[in-house]
Amino acid sequence: MLLSLGRIIKFGLQDVWRNFWLSLATIMILVLTLFSVDLLLSLRIIGQAAVDNLKNRVDVSIYLKQGISEDKILNLKARLANLNNVQEVVYISQSAALESFQQRHQSDPEILQALQELNQNPLAPALTVKPKDPDHFEELVEELDQVQDPIIESRNFQDNKKLLDKINYITDKINDAAVIISAIFLFIMILVMFNSVRLAIYSHRQEIIIMKLVGASNFFIKAPFLFSSLIYTFIGVVLTATIFYSFLTVLQPYLDTFFFGYNVDLVTYFNSRWLVIAGLQFTGAAVINLLASYMAVGKYSKI
Amino acid sequence: MIQFIHASKFYPPQTKALDDLSLHIYPGEFVSIVGQSGSGKTTIVKCLIGEEKLDSGQIILGDWDITRVSNREIPYLRRQIGVIFQDFKLLPKKTLAENVAFALQVCGKSPKKIKAIVPSVMKIVGLTEQMNRYPNEVSGGEQQRAAIARALVYQPKILVADEPTGNLDSINAEEIVNLLLKINDLGTTVILVTHNREIVNNLNRRVITISDGRLVNDQARGKYII
Repeated sequence: MLLSLGRIIKFGLQDVWRNFWLSLATIMILVLTLFSVDLLLSLRIIGQAAVDNLKNRVDVSIYLKQGISEDKILNLKARLANLNNVQEVVYISQSAALESFQQRHQSDPEILQALQELNQNPLAPALTVKPKDPDHFEELVEELDQVQDPIIESRNFQDNKKLLDKINYITDKINDAAVIISAIFLFIMILVMFNSVRLAIYSHRQEIIIMKLVGASNFFIKAPFLFSSLIYTFIGVVLTATIFYSFLTVLQPYLDTFFFGYNVDLVTYFNSRWLVIAGLQFTGAAVINLLASYMAVGKYSKI
Repeated sequence: MIQFIHASKFYPPQTKALDDLSLHIYPGEFVSIVGQSGSGKTTIVKCLIGEEKLDSGQIILGDWDITRVSNREIPYLRRQIGVIFQDFKLLPKKTLAENVAFALQVCGKSPKKIKAIVPSVMKIVGLTEQMNRYPNEVSGGEQQRAAIARALVYQPKILVADEPTGNLDSINAEEIVNLLLKINDLGTTVILVTHNREIVNNLNRRVITISDGRLVNDQARGKYII
């Protein structure tokens, strides 16, 4: 058994080395396919980061009556902060609201002029509530609706809810499209990988027939090809990881600039999960390659 | 030793490759099976090594009814019969010595035994100096001799040569036939399938003539008569 195993490994390695260009072509196709999978994953991460960022910007404001003492406001702020679905409550005083309003409209002299003519600060102080999870926005609204306090002037969550619904709708559609596109791409990649291995075996068909005629058992014929497939897969995964990591290192500064403030850090993402990603890629590619090799060798050894 | 008993083999739609063929080959014989192209000569070889199955009849090899062998047993059957082909059928990415060694490796011989057997067989067929060359680096005659060496390493009781000289010039062809005669002198039954009239007539050994899958002539010291 050990002798057979040794011979299978030897023949597998010999096959890879002595058919160097064929091996190289097969590995290159594998690398291109796995690289495409990594790219697809990166696009998904970037898209998800952008959507999360957009969702995190959605908050609700509770407007307070003017001239209320700071103690009462801070008391309400503490009550709100204790709610289940609240991540953070920020108090925006009347003067801070005015300052922010002026900054937002600094390029609009007519509005600033109108504000000046009023001769007083018309803006109400507010408590801005950030949801713990934007996907549970409705639960947050329900919780906020139950908070009764005489210092509350108004609360209008409907605009934000509509905005969040729209974001959710768009992201759902984008996700659906991404799943379909990814599935199509994955299917194409599986076909490419599957057929490249089958073609590689096809070029060995005469050898397989000869082995059979010399009296080799099916196992003795198939096993070295299966072992070669594992070698192709291993080299392919290692090469892909090396090339993709180098590519990411070059790409990351551009991503940082382009997605400023969006926290899109692909290098960290892949660094922290490289074992899982490489492991899954190896397992997936190995299963496809082994299956393709097994079927192709089986086809030519039926004599 | 080998018996074909009412052996028939058909290929769709209506080709009769073997038609109720019966013949008996005895141990130690040198038999030439001759006939025109498509007469069924190669089908005899294919059925003998389990590459094709008979539609009816039997093939008995020693005590073994090889028409009943399972797919699992076929590799063992092929290790009992040495076969050489017109196109040599050497593994192109292995050296001549590795090709010969491969036949031993598939049946689980130890590296020590293989190291001892391969050079001696290569010496018998006169390929000691070429043993580390690849098939595409040697002549057709040398490739065929390597194929004979590979067929001999099992020390088979039967050696089947299917058109072994078909791709060779007359000098190389003669060398191969002489080698087959030498192997036969050592006790191995040799079945030579050929349509080379000159070789068959010079041999002056048993000749079986096949036409349309039927045995039409069987002479102890025969000539090529078609």
